[in-house]
Amino acid sequence: MWEVTDVSSPWVHRWAMMVTLLTFPLIWLGGLVTTHDAGMAVPDWPGTFGYNLFLYPMSAWIYGPFDLFVEHGHRLLASVVGLFAIGLCVVAYRTERRRWLVGTCFLFLASIIAQGVLGGVRVLFDARTLAMIHGCSGPLVFALGGFIAMATSKRWHLGFCKAGVKGLGRLAVLLLLLSVSQLFVGAHLRHSLPTWLPSFFMSLVHTHLLLAAIILFVVLGVTILVRLPSNREFREFRSPSNALLAIASVQILLGFATWIANYATPWVELTPWLARYTVQGKGFWESMIVTGHQATGSLMIVCSLWLVCRAYRQSSIAEPRKQTTIESKNSVPKDYQAEAVNIGVE
Amino acid sequence: MFLNKNSCLYSRLRNLFPCWFLGFAFLSGCAPQDITFRANELHAASLSQDSAEHPISESAQSAQELVIELFGTPDSPKWPEGIAVAVDMEKVGRAAGPVGRNVSKIERGLYRKHCVQCHGTSGDGMGPASALLAPYPRDFRRGSFKFKSTPIGKKPTHSDLVRTLEKGLPGTSMPAFGTLNRSKEFAGDLDALAHYVRFLAIRGEVERRLILAIVNGEDTNSLPLQLASKVADSWTLADSHSVSAPTLVATKTLEDRLASMESGKTVFLSELTACSKCHGKAGDGQGTSQDFDDWTKDWTIRAGIDPTKKVEWKTMKKYGALKPVIDSSRNLTLGAFKGGATREDIYLRIVLGIEGSPMPAIARKENDNPGITEDGIRDLVEYVYSLSSVKPDVLSDAKGVGAN
Repeated sequence: MWEVTDVSSPWVHRWAMMVTLLTFPLIWLGGLVTTHDAGMAVPDWPGTFGYNLFLYPMSAWIYGPFDLFVEHGHRLLASVVGLFAIGLCVVAYRTERRRWLVGTCFLFLASIIAQGVLGGVRVLFDARTLAMIHGCSGPLVFALGGFIAMATSKRWHLGFCKAGVKGLGRLAVLLLLLSVSQLFVGAHLRHSLPTWLPSFFMSLVHTHLLLAAIILFVVLGVTILVRLPSNREFREFRSPSNALLAIASVQILLGFATWIANYATPWVELTPWLARYTVQGKGFWESMIVTGHQATGSLMIVCSLWLVCRAYRQSSIAEPRKQTTIESKNSVPKDYQAEAVNIGVE
Repeated sequence: MFLNKNSCLYSRLRNLFPCWFLGFAFLSGCAPQDITFRANELHAASLSQDSAEHPISESAQSAQELVIELFGTPDSPKWPEGIAVAVDMEKVGRAAGPVGRNVSKIERGLYRKHCVQCHGTSGDGMGPASALLAPYPRDFRRGSFKFKSTPIGKKPTHSDLVRTLEKGLPGTSMPAFGTLNRSKEFAGDLDALAHYVRFLAIRGEVERRLILAIVNGEDTNSLPLQLASKVADSWTLADSHSVSAPTLVATKTLEDRLASMESGKTVFLSELTACSKCHGKAGDGQGTSQDFDDWTKDWTIRAGIDPTKKVEWKTMKKYGALKPVIDSSRNLTLGAFKGGATREDIYLRIVLGIEGSPMPAIARKENDNPGITEDGIRDLVEYVYSLSSVKPDVLSDAKGVGAN
């Protein structure tokens, strides 16, 4: 049997999922802004060329220059995410019983507003350094949204078994820290300043590569750990572990592709194709690859957090596996009860 | 409220403000910096020894100040008064400065958007990413450009620069920005960038000459303007030196072309052209003679430094020197020709050479002087073209005749 610890309205989870899912394309668009160096395509803020953000003519936006299209789109989508975050806060305030989670929802809203203000200040001061910080904090806000979605999910309410995979929690935290560090280094590379010395940039690239290798190593460690015969019964770690392995693999490939899309391959004479390959400045696919690499990095953080939550959530449950019972059945919605019993039977 | 000015929390947050700032500065790598042109200390170091009496940084800085007076700053470039204008300053203004659009939606900062990452603010080829690239990005300040339609020693034409920007250089990190031309909005960008590259090249060459004058102890009162005028004129005259390749469309029969290739092979292997010494007998770039390019020789061999000895060249690192790398001969069998892969492009590379690289212009037969005839050059072009593993036309039927 699995313990049902606490239950709240499923609407909080639905809103949290919606906001988080909207935040991901926002990160993509933000990445496109950096790829196309479009941060200053609209020189004013919070308006757009003197118009209210929402009243800027649609035709001028859609049929205007691509950098303007991307930057204004980024602002519009950010506003939509902000509005949905307000909705999340309202729903959480009215229905969620865990006050800390309500506080987290408000923190999420505050972080979205702060992120918007940071983006605006970056425009007003034309400060590339602020753009870099904006790029670093964006995925962290995304991760916070992901955390709220996790904390309001059925899985969280059902809790997990006590005896878990030994060492997985620490490995998951290490992975999370490494992923965030990698994000910071990557954001530096994406927002490099013309005043930087080549040696500094080179050391950043080497750090990025080293971190990538360590992250891959840790992800492989996690994968092996959760698949060990002794840990076969802990199936709840399979999904985050599989997702991490898939994302890390894609991310490594995207990393190589990003370098080639930006600077061509270092081994030009390996094959005639590589020798003849010409980097396409601001090409569509090149932009997608580079932006995809950045966006996948933020997915890596969220998945690491997912694993951390599962690993530590399990150890926070007081009752041991197969000895817990569903308590306060009256307070549990029927669908939760059914799932809890089903999992328990397994 | 709990954050009123007398509260304990408020004062703690206020006291922590410097820590926040430092934290952000740490996260961002460094605090915002002004974008300035970098003084050419490497050239000053290659011309003189550093000493307490004549420190290198001082001569480079003096030249830098004179050049800023003439040409302005990266955010506000200007053309020296009193000399003929060799660039379109309106376009230079659009390419210079920070990236973004003004209230009229006109884009500026094109150079920082597309080029500065590799070529650096001063066009010194020492942008942040430069050390990781092979070959290194071009240093515009010598005024030398490799792929052009003018002979060695002459400046490239405006169209040569636009062509490189548009097509890029295959097998290198130089992108093709041709996609910009497809959009009406960005159609004039390459033209503006080419003007800015000319501007940086002129500015950089004037700076180099001023450093030489300062190191030699010459009077620099009226010199900057004279030098600027001289350098600008050399760019203005570029069009008059432009050479165009004859049309080399494959109109001959297959038999004729096979014969031409055989004849070209003889020219390729001959002592007179010595192509195989660098490109190898098979044209695979495995020749015995390999050398550094002029940008490297500038601060190594010409300054008495052996580029193959790390102990020696490392002394120049503090002035911005990157590790010397051999300018390898092209592997002609890969079909990757940086200056263009048509017969006409190959013809120009053979006839004009590649400035700054070990690739010389071919010796033409004139009067009684030994050299290669026009027909011989065309045969050589046919042979080099046939070496490529990519044979876009009928040559694919004639495989086996090429390299072996």
